Amino acid sequence: MLKRGDVVKLVRVVAETREIEIGCDECFEQLGGFAELELSGAEASSMMPLVGDHLDRCEDCRNEFEALLTALRST
Amino acid sequence: MKERTNEQWLMELRGANPDEALEDLYDLLVRGLRAALDTYGGGVEANVEDFAQEALIRITGNLDSFRGESRFTTWAQKIATNVALTELKRRRWRDVSLQDLFARREAADRGPADTQLTPEQLAFQNMVLGQLRRIVEEELTDRQREAVVAVILEGMPISEVARRMGTNQNALYKLLHDARRRLKRRMAAAGHSPKEVLAAFDEG
Repeated sequence: MLKRGDVVKLVRVVAETREIEIGCDECFEQLGGFAELELSGAEASSMMPLVGDHLDRCEDCRNEFEALLTALRST
Repeated sequence: MKERTNEQWLMELRGANPDEALEDLYDLLVRGLRAALDTYGGGVEANVEDFAQEALIRITGNLDSFRGESRFTTWAQKIATNVALTELKRRRWRDVSLQDLFARREAADRGPADTQLTPEQLAFQNMVLGQLRRIVEEELTDRQREAVVAVILEGMPISEVARRMGTNQNALYKLLHDARRRLKRRMAAAGHSPKEVLAAFDEG
């Protein structure tokens, strides 16, 4: 089931795994605050590390974040 | 458009004459969505207004859940982009079932080992591959294995996989997190560092 070409992807993802990670709901709940920090020029990831972490590993949530940033920048 | 504080937004939207606030909010959402969805290409413009409308319904129906962790307009914009992205993902993956994904995966040739490898390197790669296969087989439940393949290895959006597996995105994320932690523990116990493995597969 696991193919040679899967190894790199799987090992990378597993290596970056932490014991404590927040889920998508918790990340979404805090996304507005995180986006505003980012837009204000602050280091959002340092101030809300669990959110930053989640966005690093979850593509769905990262896309939500980037779309929100773009929307906020334009309005 | 009139500037409003969070309190003013909430008061007007909950009040007897919400129309002006609704219209202003709608315009804001449409502008935001147009910018956010710019990269999605043609056909999306027609939907921006529908997405904004649907977002308005969700927003006005859930005003009590706004907790003031951001500006009201940020919270509203977040709901609008979520409505839009959820729908766009659904459309993009509409015709792909998990069975299709797995079948495609079986059929695809992931490539033989790099012929530039020495026999020792090839033997190490084969051993690691064997260990990983065993770990995945022994440590994970069937559901976790399915999710790992679909989300991590095949790149299907987690929200799309969740729906097909009869669960929600958050629950699937937790299932995957548990799977990843198990794999991490077992891989550490197997004695090869990630760096070592990645180097062996030429991606250190």
